Amino acid sequence: MIAGAWICLLSPLAAAVLITLGGTRTSRHTAAYLSTLSCFVAFAGAIASFVGLLGEEPSQRHHLSTAWIWIQGGSYRSGLSVLVDPLSVMMMLIVSGVGALIIAYSIGYMDGDDEERRYFAYMSLFVFSMLLLVQGGNLILLLAGWGMVGLSSYLLIGFWHHRPAAIAAAKKAFVMNAIGDATMALAFFLVIQKTGTLSFSALGQLHGGWVVNLVALGLLGGAVAKSAQLPLQTWLPDAMEGPTPVSALIHAATMVTAGVYLIVRTHAAFELAPTVQDVAAGIGGATLLLAGLVALVQTDIKRVIAYSTMSQIGYMFVGVGVGAYGSGMFHLMTHAFFKALLFMSAGIVIHALAAEQDIRKMGGLRRLMPRTFWAFLIGALALAGIFPFAGFFSKDPIIAAAVAKGGGLGYVLAAAGLIGAFLTGLYIFRLLILVFLGEPSPFVREHFHALERNLVGVSMSVTVAVLAVLSVVGGWIQWTPYYDPVDKWLAPVAPPLVTPTHWQEWVFTALSLALALVGIGTAWLVYGAHRIAVPKLPFVQRTLEHKFWFDELYDVAFARPVAALAVWLRDRFEQPLVSGVGKVGDDTREVGGLFARLQTGLLRTYALAIASSVAILAIVFVAVR
Amino acid sequence: MLGPDLAWYLAVAAFLFCTGALGVLLRRNPLIVLLSLEIMLNGANLALIGYSRHLANGDGQIFALAVMAIAASEVVVGLGLVVALNRRQAPLDVDRLDTLRG
Amino acid sequence: MIVASAGNALVWIVWLAAAGACIGSGIAVISFRNPFFSALALIGNLASLAVLYLLLSAEFVAAAQVLVYGGAVMVMFLFVIAYIGPQQESPWAGGPTWQSFAAVVAAGALFVEILVVIGMKAGGELGHAAPIGSSFGSPAEIGRLFLTDDLLAFEITSIVLLVAAVGGVILGAHARRQPWGSADAEAPHFDALRPGKTDART
Repeated sequence: MIAGAWICLLSPLAAAVLITLGGTRTSRHTAAYLSTLSCFVAFAGAIASFVGLLGEEPSQRHHLSTAWIWIQGGSYRSGLSVLVDPLSVMMMLIVSGVGALIIAYSIGYMDGDDEERRYFAYMSLFVFSMLLLVQGGNLILLLAGWGMVGLSSYLLIGFWHHRPAAIAAAKKAFVMNAIGDATMALAFFLVIQKTGTLSFSALGQLHGGWVVNLVALGLLGGAVAKSAQLPLQTWLPDAMEGPTPVSALIHAATMVTAGVYLIVRTHAAFELAPTVQDVAAGIGGATLLLAGLVALVQTDIKRVIAYSTMSQIGYMFVGVGVGAYGSGMFHLMTHAFFKALLFMSAGIVIHALAAEQDIRKMGGLRRLMPRTFWAFLIGALALAGIFPFAGFFSKDPIIAAAVAKGGGLGYVLAAAGLIGAFLTGLYIFRLLILVFLGEPSPFVREHFHALERNLVGVSMSVTVAVLAVLSVVGGWIQWTPYYDPVDKWLAPVAPPLVTPTHWQEWVFTALSLALALVGIGTAWLVYGAHRIAVPKLPFVQRTLEHKFWFDELYDVAFARPVAALAVWLRDRFEQPLVSGVGKVGDDTREVGGLFARLQTGLLRTYALAIASSVAILAIVFVAVR
Repeated sequence: MLGPDLAWYLAVAAFLFCTGALGVLLRRNPLIVLLSLEIMLNGANLALIGYSRHLANGDGQIFALAVMAIAASEVVVGLGLVVALNRRQAPLDVDRLDTLRG
Repeated sequence: MIVASAGNALVWIVWLAAAGACIGSGIAVISFRNPFFSALALIGNLASLAVLYLLLSAEFVAAAQVLVYGGAVMVMFLFVIAYIGPQQESPWAGGPTWQSFAAVVAAGALFVEILVVIGMKAGGELGHAAPIGSSFGSPAEIGRLFLTDDLLAFEITSIVLLVAAVGGVILGAHARRQPWGSADAEAPHFDALRPGKTDART
């Protein structure tokens, strides 16, 4: 079991190192297969750990395996340790399982790219980093994994580095993540100062007012940055510049959910700072509404799905913010399935249309790629939360938990969740209808080419099919009014703070389902049957298209002043310094030129110099003696 | 020792040496420069032989013979240079051979 | 003793003649305009030096001087001078006058210094020569020294001679290059080192 956990962690790292060392000596397919294989091996290791834990008593399920002591400074000690407990095993399974499927999909999607090997090395590096994050036995290793997933994200968003938009998006993502890293580091400093260690149990010992609030705020800052919640959400839509499998793996299924994992893992600190936990829930609620609204006007197929991710993570934040850790993590799991499915189906569409991503040019693809249509439909239904697809079982308990928490905040959050359900149905079916239904558009007729039955086609269709199946059955492992194995599984790590009653569960499940169906129906009426026109509200339209002006605000508040400061510093300090150094070079050259005049090239001058020097030296020697 | 003391011989040797040095420093024809160098070497030889006699040590004469051999080698190379210069129609004027100027 | 004083007087006369010839021919070498005459003067210089060596009981060296220097080196000089033939005479001396003046001063200073230093250091002892045996300076003695005490000098000198011979052969090989003064033979002048210009070459 412990060995399984180490294998899970180290297998992708080995693949990344081997691909990097192999360089161009290995073929591209070798790199692809190696990366995929390593991820499947990691999944096998995760299964081994899972089975091992199953055979134990719930109270015994906590194993910390330390490789060696990594940092020692004064009384502070940190080990390279791996934690095997229900929460980490759950994340291991999700990360390695979905990761393996997505990397297998990439074999087909990235086939023919010039730099495939680099891609697969980065993907393996990312999987390793994410596993380090979730398996880390102390906060230092969690932070190490946290930083490395940020790095992998930067590398993979900017993968097509000759595109300026991709480079800019990668920088933006990294910088915003770095803000979160900074707040987390500050929080860790406080923890060390108060308790002297960075183990997870230290968080529970932070009694006392303002320290634990600051720590929780710092952790929340990191979670908000990594999970693209308000106010640090602007990097996620831009991150769609990366290849579609990257968007599927990093910006849907795993990295962005690291924030949710962090809050669950450090829930002890949040519970000691209830205000901050409420703030977390509030941020989640605001984000889910904002993202849902913005998704209504997006015209890029990947950006719609990106905003959907932002919105669903908002749901997860609401869940863990009110204390329903099991529901939040369950939604994380099902979301990984159907969001990856949606991204991968979108990837097949993009691939078939020669890299076109604008949905206004698409239409009528249903008849040309029926299986993709069905996969996308399954994903859409799961996302909207329709019975019996996966999202239904995981999303509604969160709303019920918000109601169970009660108080003004709880009801507001529940209302937001319900509105969000309506918006979700609306935007995802808008996307489905615009892309797949109707008559094939002229663009489609001109550029469409189907997936062939070769490696590319097989890798992409098989993995999508597997995820489609998971999106159907993945939710069946828990239906909270009746059976809740996931909650029970996670209870030793993070016991829930609220338990909704059966009545609450039923009512809000029904309400949420109804609102989702209303959303789907509205989408059909507006975009499918064209019975209702899109409302003409120019101000609203513009605000949504500008994503509530966040990018403009950050540009004016941060980007421009910093750029101006940099220019000022360059002109006032750096330029004079550099030209000063350049002057030293010129002066040296001048002096050298002076000395060069000594070399007349004339024999007699040199001879005269020798003779006179001898004469003078003789006098000197005689005088000295 | 019959005849003048060593001092007289050394005076002649010094005079020869300085005359040769003057020739090297003043004349512009490389052949004359080489001849002046020979005079300098001979001056040194005379001093060596003189001291060899004075100290009754044969090493001075050995040294002088070695100097003679070296002088011969140097003349070979020097004259080779002069011949090469002549072949390339270079001016046989030390002051105009300044390619190493710089 | 009359014999001693007569012998002494004879030696003095011979010495004066040889030394005078030496000094005179030395001045002549550096004075003639025509290198041929300078070479002839040098031959005279070598001969008078040989006489001086004989007076110093260095018989072998004197013989070697005449044979090697006079017979080989000077002949070579004369060959080359004849080969080069008449040509545009280069100025006797030239260049900046300060250079000529400094040359004379330096040479004169050297002469004076040498005499002064020798006088200071060894003034008293110069009168008393050590006694020598009859084999001093003989070929047998020289040979013995070359092959026992000074063997290394002997060998190194041989190598230097060999190297010089090789060098001479190479220098005398056929010229392959362009004549002097043509554009290709010009070495690049680095204008860049004059102040005010940047080095565009590197």
